[in-house]
Amino acid sequence: MLNNITLGQYFPGTSFVHRLDPRTKLLATMLFIIAIFFAQTPLAYAILCGFTLFVILLSRLPLLMVLKSVKPIWIILVLTLGIHMFTTPGETVVYQYSFLTITQEGLAMGGKMCLRLILLLLFSSILTFTTSPIVLTDGIENLLRPFKSIGVPAHELAMMMTIALRFIPTLLEETDRIMKAQTARGADFESGNIFERVKNMLPLLIPLFISAFRRADDLAVAMEARCYRGGEGRTRMHELCYVGRDYVAFAGVLALIVVLAVMRWGSPLIKI
Amino acid sequence: MITIENLKHYYKDIDGNEVRALDGVSLDIEAGEFVAIIGANGSGKSTLARHLNGLLVPTEGRVVVDGMDTLDEAKTWDIRQAVGMVFQNPDNQIVAAIVEEDVAFGLENIGVPGPEIRPRVEKALAAVGMSEYAKHAPHLLSGGQKQRVAIAGILGLEPKCIVLDEPTAMLDPQGRQEIVSTVKKLNQEKKITIVYITHYMEEALEASRVVVMAQGKMQFMGTPKEVFSRVEELEALGLEAPLAAKVASELRKCGAKLPKDIITEEELAQALCQ
Repeated sequence: MLNNITLGQYFPGTSFVHRLDPRTKLLATMLFIIAIFFAQTPLAYAILCGFTLFVILLSRLPLLMVLKSVKPIWIILVLTLGIHMFTTPGETVVYQYSFLTITQEGLAMGGKMCLRLILLLLFSSILTFTTSPIVLTDGIENLLRPFKSIGVPAHELAMMMTIALRFIPTLLEETDRIMKAQTARGADFESGNIFERVKNMLPLLIPLFISAFRRADDLAVAMEARCYRGGEGRTRMHELCYVGRDYVAFAGVLALIVVLAVMRWGSPLIKI
Repeated sequence: MITIENLKHYYKDIDGNEVRALDGVSLDIEAGEFVAIIGANGSGKSTLARHLNGLLVPTEGRVVVDGMDTLDEAKTWDIRQAVGMVFQNPDNQIVAAIVEEDVAFGLENIGVPGPEIRPRVEKALAAVGMSEYAKHAPHLLSGGQKQRVAIAGILGLEPKCIVLDEPTAMLDPQGRQEIVSTVKKLNQEKKITIVYITHYMEEALEASRVVVMAQGKMQFMGTPKEVFSRVEELEALGLEAPLAAKVASELRKCGAKLPKDIITEEELAQALCQ
C-alpha cells in the first residue's frame, strides 16, 4: 500500500516550461490568477482558456493528466454552480419549480465561476507538474527573502520544507514497518466503522510519533555537528538566476494581463 | 591533534540522580592516528565522542582540539569544521532529498562561495566512491551507501579528524565492510585522523591504537595485539575478544605452546600448523 509513492506530482521533462526558473513559474502563476479575475466577456474567457491550453502544450505534459487534476474539486464546482444558479436574481427565467428559480443570468454566473476555478486549478497544476518540490522550495525561499526584514522566516520555512521532503519517504517506510509489526501482534487496521478504525490507528501513531521525535533530535545534533547555525551567512550550491527564457515567459504573462485589463476597462489611450 | 585532560562529564537523570558518564579520562590523539574506542553499552564512549567537537562540553577538565579549547564558544564552529562527526543511524543525519545537495549542506553552512561548492562536493563523493549516485534520493540507497554519503558530507568540509560513533551498528555485514575500508583509505591516503567508536572487535583490529572504556573511565590501551591478547580482562569488562584470541587463550590454558599475541584467524592457523 505504501510503496511506489511519488512526492507531489512532479512529471519530469525538459520542455520550455520545465526549464524555467522556479521563481518565474511562481510569479507567472500568481499573475495568471490575477488575470483570471479581470475576465468578464466570453471572448476574455476564450483567451484565458487558449492561453492555458497553449502552456499545457508547451510543457509537453499529457493533456488528460493535467485535466484530471480538476477531479478532486468536483464537489466544490457542483456547489458553486448550484448556489449561483438558484440565488442570482435575473429577468429571463429558464426553469421554475415552487420557490426554486433558475435564471439565465444565474446559469451564466455559475458557469463563469466554475470556469474561473477550473482555470485556476489547471494553471497551478502545471506549476507543480513541471517543477520538482526541491526546486520549488528554493524558489519560494528566494522570493520570500526580501520580506525577511518584516519578520518572514524565509530560510527557516525553506529548511523545514526540505527536511519534510527528505523524511516523508523515510517515515512512510517506518509506518509500513510498524503496521506489519502491529498486525503480527494482532492489531486490526482494516475492519470496523470509521470510529473503530481511527481508534485502531493509535498503536500505529504512537510509535510513529515517538520515532519521529527521536529522529528529529538525532538530525538536530547531526546538523549542528555540520556547522549549521541558521540562514545567516549561508551560501547555496545552486544560485538561481533568470535567463532569456524567463523574460520571454514574463513578457507572455504580462501581455495577457494587459490585454484582459484593456478588454475590461478600455485603454487609457484609445477608446474602444 | 586532540588533547583530553582529566575529562569529567556528569549529568542528572530524570530521577535527579547524578550520573558520571565520564569520570576522569585523559587521552592524547596524535595527528594521522587511527584510534578505535571500544566499550560495552553505557561505558561512556559515545559521551566521549561528543566532547571531541564541542557537542558536549566538560563538567570538569579540558578538551583541546588543535589548540582550541571546546569551552571557548567563539571557537565552536572552527572546532566542528576541524573535527567532523558521523553518527550511528544513517537515516537521521542526511538533511537533503538529493545526495549531492546533502554533501553541499555543510559547505553552504560555513559560507563557501557558490561556484566553489560543486568541485568540493564532487571530490568528496569520489573519495567515498559514491560519484555515480550524486543525483539519487538518499532513501533509495543501502545503509552502507547512506553512511558513505554521510562521510562525504563531512569530507567536503576538509576536516583534520573524523569521529565515527558506531557507524556500522545498523548496517549489514557488507555495509560494515564498505565503511571500514572507506575509513581506512581516508586515514592512509588523506592522512585524516580517525577516532572510531565501535563494539565490533574485528573492526577495531584495523586501528593503530585501541582504547578500552568502562564505567566512564579509560581502562587500558595499546596496539590491537596488546589489547586483544588480554582476553580475560576484556571479558571482565563485558567485552568479547576476537574469536582467534579466545581460542588461543583457551588452548594455552590446556598447555599448548602458542605465542601471546595471536588475534587474527590467520595468525592462529599459522601458529597451530607449526
